[in-house]
Amino acid sequence: MIEVDALTKEFSRPDVRPGRFAGTRSLFTRARKVTRAVDGISFRIDAGELIGFLGPNGAGKSTTIKMLTGILVPTSGTVTVAGQVPWRDRRQNARTIGAVFGQRTQLWYDLPLRDSFGIIRDLYGMDAATYRTRLGEFTELLGLDEFIDTPVRSLSLGQRMRGDLVAAMLYAPPILYLDEPTVGLDVVAKGKIREFVAEINTRRGTTVVLTTHDMDDVERLCRRVIIIDHGVLLYEGDLESLKARYVTTRDIVVHATEFDLTSVASPFAEVLTAGPAKATLRFAPATTSTPKVVHDLTSRYPITDLSVLEPDLEDVIRQLYTERRTG
Amino acid sequence: MRERLTGVRGLYRAGYRSVLAYRADLWFGIAGLVIQATLTVVVWRVLYAGHDEVAGIDRSTAVSYAVLAAAIQAVIMPWQFSSLPFRVLRGQIGVDMMRPRSLISQNLAQAVGTMVGRLPIGVAGLLTGLALGGVQPPRSAAGLGLWVISMSLGIANILIVNLLVSMTAFWTLEIGGFMIVYRFATAFLSGALIPLWFMPGWLQPILGWLPFQAQMYAPLSIWFGTRDGVLGVLALQVGWVVVLFGLLQLVWRRAVHKVVVLGG
Repeated sequence: MIEVDALTKEFSRPDVRPGRFAGTRSLFTRARKVTRAVDGISFRIDAGELIGFLGPNGAGKSTTIKMLTGILVPTSGTVTVAGQVPWRDRRQNARTIGAVFGQRTQLWYDLPLRDSFGIIRDLYGMDAATYRTRLGEFTELLGLDEFIDTPVRSLSLGQRMRGDLVAAMLYAPPILYLDEPTVGLDVVAKGKIREFVAEINTRRGTTVVLTTHDMDDVERLCRRVIIIDHGVLLYEGDLESLKARYVTTRDIVVHATEFDLTSVASPFAEVLTAGPAKATLRFAPATTSTPKVVHDLTSRYPITDLSVLEPDLEDVIRQLYTERRTG
Repeated sequence: MRERLTGVRGLYRAGYRSVLAYRADLWFGIAGLVIQATLTVVVWRVLYAGHDEVAGIDRSTAVSYAVLAAAIQAVIMPWQFSSLPFRVLRGQIGVDMMRPRSLISQNLAQAVGTMVGRLPIGVAGLLTGLALGGVQPPRSAAGLGLWVISMSLGIANILIVNLLVSMTAFWTLEIGGFMIVYRFATAFLSGALIPLWFMPGWLQPILGWLPFQAQMYAPLSIWFGTRDGVLGVLALQVGWVVVLFGLLQLVWRRAVHKVVVLGG
């Protein structure tokens, strides 16, 4: 569905050298400084996938998305989205893609939400019947009816985001780009948006490219992720193997009420912390299976409660980013 | 063609609804123009006291011209005539570029909508002028018909030039200063402030060849029948619209490569 090969984007801006009269000198100099925001990225995304597109701030995510949507023209490399070059035939491409940018809106600020949908209906030449059914469906799914006649400028962030999602999906594009759709939202609003995204992905088979810093979004929605930093690809693959690769150890927490755990020990695990009522041990699941450790501990100590901590995606990502920066 | 028009119909609607969304602003516009039209009639009459003609133009024509020009200017030369620079500055332009219609047609449709939304202001000015006996009707029905054609061409010219100037925002983000110069130049050179009859002799041929006179002076001179060779005037207006539209396409094609969508 989306194929990206050796994609590169450079930006140039006036080079202001610090020093005396820097501001004045910059009026006359034509020196430019070139920065490479995206540096030879290649990947592919299949139809019907819901993929997480991750990276720290300034990694080049948004620049890549802007090239995929056809807004920016790359410096070099190729992109094909549904068989088309997005920036070459922008109008044709427009019907293939929908986009939600969490930081800005595609709705008309001064007008009621409903008017924005009407404008989109005209822009994409939708017939009245399809428009009505789809809007009805989405309105129900996202609970828009309480604010659909309110001007966009008076909507809360969560309401506006829901409006934006509908605006992006109204003409049923096969591809949907979501750039931080849950940024700044409360738990309930986030939940609604995730539900909607999952629904259109499974029911309609819409290909979704999700950019986010919220690892909860990723864990709940994505099977596969692409991670970039400094404009280069760090990882492309499924979430489970990412965790397996970066989380080589697992922690187990045990509780006891009638026994002092301070002296707890196991041949299969290393003790991290040990107090009278609670202890944490670490083992390597690659060499020792979880049941083996559990059995060993429960057979030798009067343990009242036990939990194995799942690898935390946030830790994985943190490790990946810092490794890259120091290495 | 038809499909193209229905595509941007929504944006036209957005244009006039956005004007109507700020009702207080519209009422202030109306009140302002009623006052301006009244003062225009009074002041020009005083200026003409004791003269039958100035530069070959009689009093009632001069007064009518001033009122009509003020009314038309209020409708089609609004203070904020394009949202494009704002949209570039806020990064909204990225959204516009993902639409299945060209940026140019989206903007023009919205501008036409804004103009229609502001029509009540112009009508209020015109009615004030008529009530004070300061507006002369066109000399004949044919004259009115020619004026409608010429005014439409003038409006097309204004909308295209406005968009053209707004596109500077793709090259330099802060265009406030440039806009003030442009606004003053266009009001003066188009004959919206002072009829071109009153311009010094050496300036008139220069103004005659600039696109601005085709915006306001050309249609108004047809209204008053003060110009010979109406067909020549119309031909020149058509010529300008074609040339300017070509230029707009050219500038936009270059602007695409300049696009930097601001913000995350």
